[in-house]
Order: sequence, then C-alpha cells, then structure tokens
Amino acid sequence: MERKEIAVAKKGSMYLLKPTYFYWIMLVFGFLSFNKTGYTQGPPIFTDSPILLGLEGRGVRTFSKYIVKENAQIYIHPIIVPLNITAKLVLGGIVPFVKKNPDNLESQSGFGDVSIFAKYVVVQKDKTAKTFRVALKALGTFPTGKTNTEPPISLNAYQSYVGIVTGYITTKYGLYGELGYKVVSKGLPNNLVYNIAIGYPLLPVTYPAKQINLNMGLNGNSSIENDQTTILASPGVQYIAGRRFLVEGGVQFPLIQNLPKENRIKVIYTFGIRVLIF
Amino acid sequence: MKRILFGVMFFTFIGINTSFAQSKQIKVKVDGLSCPFCAYGLEKNFKKIDGVSDIKINIKKGTLSFAIQKGKTISEEQIKKKVEQAGFTPREITYPKMAVKKEK
Repeated sequence: MERKEIAVAKKGSMYLLKPTYFYWIMLVFGFLSFNKTGYTQGPPIFTDSPILLGLEGRGVRTFSKYIVKENAQIYIHPIIVPLNITAKLVLGGIVPFVKKNPDNLESQSGFGDVSIFAKYVVVQKDKTAKTFRVALKALGTFPTGKTNTEPPISLNAYQSYVGIVTGYITTKYGLYGELGYKVVSKGLPNNLVYNIAIGYPLLPVTYPAKQINLNMGLNGNSSIENDQTTILASPGVQYIAGRRFLVEGGVQFPLIQNLPKENRIKVIYTFGIRVLIF
Repeated sequence: MKRILFGVMFFTFIGINTSFAQSKQIKVKVDGLSCPFCAYGLEKNFKKIDGVSDIKINIKKGTLSFAIQKGKTISEEQIKKKVEQAGFTPREITYPKMAVKKEK
C-alpha cells in the first residue's frame, strides 16, 4: 500500500513532494473545501456593518483601545449602545472613557466626547444564505469631555459625520465597506474616512454555534486641507460563543502615515466584547 | 436473529416517529440569513408568538422551522410579518394544514 502511494506521488512531476507532505496538503485542501459549505461569519471588528440585527442592533459593544503614539499612549474605552427602532433603522449612543498619558506631561483621564448615531438601510437584496445591504450613516460628536486639562480629554469641537456603509455577507465570507466625510467645527481639519474589511470563518457552524472568525481590514483617514493621510492595516480575530456573546481583538498598524511626527501612530491594540441584552 | 429483528423494528419505529414529528413543523424559507448573530432576532421574534415552540434555524439552507401547539393558529400573514420585522425576506411557507388559519 505504502509503495503504491509513493509511486503516485512520483509519477506526477520532477519536483516531487515527499508522500507525507503530499497527503498533508491534500488533507488540508480537502478539509477547507469540505468546510466552506457550512461556514458563516460575524460582524467586522474595525469597519461598520449595514446589518442592524442581533448584536449590531440590540447589543452593547465595549472595547479597550490602547493607542501607542510617538510621544504618548492613549487608552480609550467606549461603550456603544445601538437600539433597533425598526429592522431598517438603528439609533445609538457612544460614551467613551479616555486616558491620555503623554511622555512629557501628567496623564489625564475622564469621559470623552459623547456621540449619537443613526443608520438606515436603503438597499436590501436578500438571497438564500446571503445578503447585500447598503445603509446611510450619520454620527454627531459633541464636546462633552474635559477641556481644562493639558492634554485636554475633549477635542473641544463639534464633529458631524455622514457616510455610506455597505456589506455583502454570505455564509462563506463577508465583505464590508464604508465611505464617509467628517466635518469638524472651529476650523479644525475635516476628514475623509474610508474603510474596507473582509471576514472569514475558521469553523464550520450551525445555528446557534460557536465561531472563530478572522477579520482583515484597511482603515483610511485623509484630511484634504492638510494633505495628511493615515491608512492602517487592521487584522483581528473574533470568537462568537453563542447567540448573545462575542469577544474580539485585533492590532492596527500604519501602512501609510504622513502626519507630523508627534501625531504618528505606532500601533493600536483593541480587545472587546459585544453582549446582546435587549 | 431475534436481536437483528428487534433492531430493525426499533429503528423503523424511530424513523416513523421522526417523520411524524417533522410533518408537524411549519417551515419558512427565509432569504438573507447569512450570519448566526443576526439570525437570533428571528428566533426571538417567533418565540414571542403564543403557542410557537421548537424553533430551528438552518442558515445554510435559509430556513426557519417551528412547531405550533394544538389548538393554536398562526396565519401566513403573521409569519411573513415576523420575518420582515426581524430584518429578512420571507419566501415559501410549508405547513401542516391543521395549524394554519387560512387567509381570505
């Protein structure tokens, strides 16, 4: 039996694989192709989603974000509460706790600028085990954080964001995109925001089931007035423990960053959970 | 031989029971089901209906099935509305005739 298997491997090509490697490769390919039929995946970690259901519509999301900059470390811990008004409309609020730890100044902490947001699904094309959706998104941020500290916790300006969020989600993968524009008051630079992400499941699942999903994304931010751009690579991993709970984490690092040295990001670590409560 | 015969009878009995149980299930084809975390809303919506139990969702096939208690009724309109409220698109519904209030 063993001799026959080696002969099969040798017959194929001059660049022979050892039979052990050949069968391992076949096994891996077989495993992947078998499992692809039953895969499903979860929401993107660093990009928004047009799916306003489940954890995206009636769950609480919170995460710790640790930003390492050239001359400071910033810790942000937002609590995000979306609430489905209808299946196509979600309203929500974001309350962040911020701690800034500059290299040459005392660290400051407190609640940061509060945001409210709305998403409305304008396109919904559903097929068996797949969906394509487009949502309009509006977000307003108010200068509610402390401004009398150095460094200040608040940006001390109103921020208005409008954008479009799209997603093509199948049981095998999810593709997500977001394009938006943020207008900042008090003459501060406005921003063009562009994010894309792909979600890929690692475990075959049935409903309800445990899932492990890989996420890969790019998060871009450009200020046209200042000619400044940051594009972050954003890989992450997600574990869905059932119907109501999800834990996720990821690392973001700059691919392109033409900012003044003091504003440059070295790396961002994110770790968070989403819990369905309503 | 007796054991084999007993085994055959046992499995035949289980098979009959399974198919009987399945025939009591109302099955709804639901388009747009692509992720378990969003499918939960569908399950929750149907749990709220009086008399509905044994809710099963098959994401790969895009189906929802559930049982309805004896004496309770559910209309096609009600099923479709619940699916839409959960954010999905309802398609064909197959059900045992006794459990469904006919639309006029």
